[in-house]
Amino acid sequence: MTIAADQTSYQETYQASREFIRQLRRNSKLVIGLVIFLTLVIIPLIAGLFVDPTLRSTGSFPPRMPPNAEAPLGTDALGRSVFIQMTEAVPNSLQVGLIAAALGTMIGAIVGFSSGYFGGVVDTIFRVLIDVFLSVPSLLFLILIASLVKGVGVQTMALIIGLFAWSWPARQVRAQVLSLKERNFVEIARLSGMSGLEIVFRELLPHMIPWLSANFVNAFISAILSEAGLSILGLGPQTQMTLGMMIYWSTINTSSLLQNLWWWWMTPVITLMLFFLSLYLIHLGLDEISNPRMRATA
Amino acid sequence: MKAYWRYISGRIVLLIVTVFISITVVFFVPRLVPGDPLNSIMIELSRAGSNRGASELIEEYRHMFGMDRSVWEQDISFIRELLRGNLGYSIANFPSQVSDLIRVSLPWTIGLLTITTIVSWIIGSVIGAVAGWKGSRSKVIQALVPIALILYATPYYILAIILIFLFAFTWRIFPLSGAYSLTSTPSFTLSFILDVIRHGTLPALSIILVSLGWWFLSMRSLITSLKGEDYILNAEAMGLKERRILWGYAFRNALLPQVTGLAISLGHIVSGAIITEVLFAYPGLGWLIFNSITRFDFPTIQGGVLLIIISVAVANFVIDISYPLVDPRIRYEPVGVG
Repeated sequence: MTIAADQTSYQETYQASREFIRQLRRNSKLVIGLVIFLTLVIIPLIAGLFVDPTLRSTGSFPPRMPPNAEAPLGTDALGRSVFIQMTEAVPNSLQVGLIAAALGTMIGAIVGFSSGYFGGVVDTIFRVLIDVFLSVPSLLFLILIASLVKGVGVQTMALIIGLFAWSWPARQVRAQVLSLKERNFVEIARLSGMSGLEIVFRELLPHMIPWLSANFVNAFISAILSEAGLSILGLGPQTQMTLGMMIYWSTINTSSLLQNLWWWWMTPVITLMLFFLSLYLIHLGLDEISNPRMRATA
Repeated sequence: MKAYWRYISGRIVLLIVTVFISITVVFFVPRLVPGDPLNSIMIELSRAGSNRGASELIEEYRHMFGMDRSVWEQDISFIRELLRGNLGYSIANFPSQVSDLIRVSLPWTIGLLTITTIVSWIIGSVIGAVAGWKGSRSKVIQALVPIALILYATPYYILAIILIFLFAFTWRIFPLSGAYSLTSTPSFTLSFILDVIRHGTLPALSIILVSLGWWFLSMRSLITSLKGEDYILNAEAMGLKERRILWGYAFRNALLPQVTGLAISLGHIVSGAIITEVLFAYPGLGWLIFNSITRFDFPTIQGGVLLIIISVAVANFVIDISYPLVDPRIRYEPVGVG
């Protein structure tokens, strides 16, 4: 009896994973996006493990060197290898994106679920809050707050950005819950005596996973973008390296431009662009999976 | 019609709540900054070499700006003066009033963004319509889609840096920063206007190119989805020229959502492109706010940020209440989003 049950569940997983791989094959956007993204992430992460920490400080290399065998991406005006900076900047920028996106999606999901599922006064209050946060340009508040906590670290920065990233997921989750709530399976679950929380977690949440992951990727893109934007304004983590801070240091007083150190500013700029492009492709790919109507036009 | 009035009253409540929350946040956040605005004046005074009588001056300033009163008293008087349209004096540029500073910088932002938004909307929509119509029949147009995707994925300030590098450093075609040459004075002469256009080209280009991608992609998908509609097939069956079907039938039907998009962008114009203005030292509202933040100039920060938030809130309100009138298919809810 148990063996048979195991058999079917095994077969189900097997079929589900085959279905997923089949979708992945057809979904070229998702694949290309993932390949670019993983390349960008893995190279600096692995290289970072082998970098001698003493080489991180200023003056470890001759300044203003174009790319060569010793420093594959050249050196900056203070004699730091741009490649070694990247091994620090990419993980830090990813960290900002991950923390902020996780925070934003989580708060958004909680607010959206409670608003859509419980309705009533909770819904009215949350809806007004969501609308207020949606209509306020968050970059302005980020600038205000980032200048308030001068000397932010990477994590603080991520928290601040995440606290402003929940309104869009909340709105979408709410709309989705409202439409799912009327379906038969929720009614059956309720009649069979499930509690509200159980219905949310066991019946509604699984339907929301593709939605939430598309939202997460979206939030990830905009968090990295916000970090870069704030850092370029000089409001970033001054003592740490992120992609935004690399752009800030290389364009401050337009030094790298004036001295024609193109490898210095171009490295973080192109990396950022590739990040956005790959994440956007992943977002589109996930959208196609979660929203089958889009597959036809893709 | 009753439902519509309920919808509008809900929107009005929302507008008021938004404005109230923004005023509160904008008042309190800068006051939590661990930095005294008057100290920075003191530092500037001593740098200028006139330290004598500075402490008396600071006391006088403190009294004048009401900083010797409690925060709550300051808040109430702030809101009271705000209702009278008085934004107070700037601390960093003392004798000038905040409203005057804003009045000087606002036209630059509005001018730059109105022109760039409309130009990119027209170009993007027209190319997007052609691309959606031709579809897979043209290889050139197929190649435009990934380009538009890249442009759309590029943050506008990254593009600004690249443009500065190419056009202001490598080829030296356009000036690096500012809105006009420092040697010229603002006036309505031909040479000054040409100077402004020359300075505005790069900031404008960075904004146009990025938003172009979005208008292109949305128009393309709109036209693609309209292609199978009955009235298009009917027009084809009637033997109308293809150009006439595209511009007279498909394009006109795709205009409504596209115009809504334009209206939303125009509504958000004042919030504009803060980072672009900072990178190009363009003397608009974003540049003013950025400079006030680095100098702890509370009244100017409050004035600028409030102006942006309130104008965005009002723009959203206007779009929300007019959209059901334009498109009767819209279903409205009492408060909040659908």
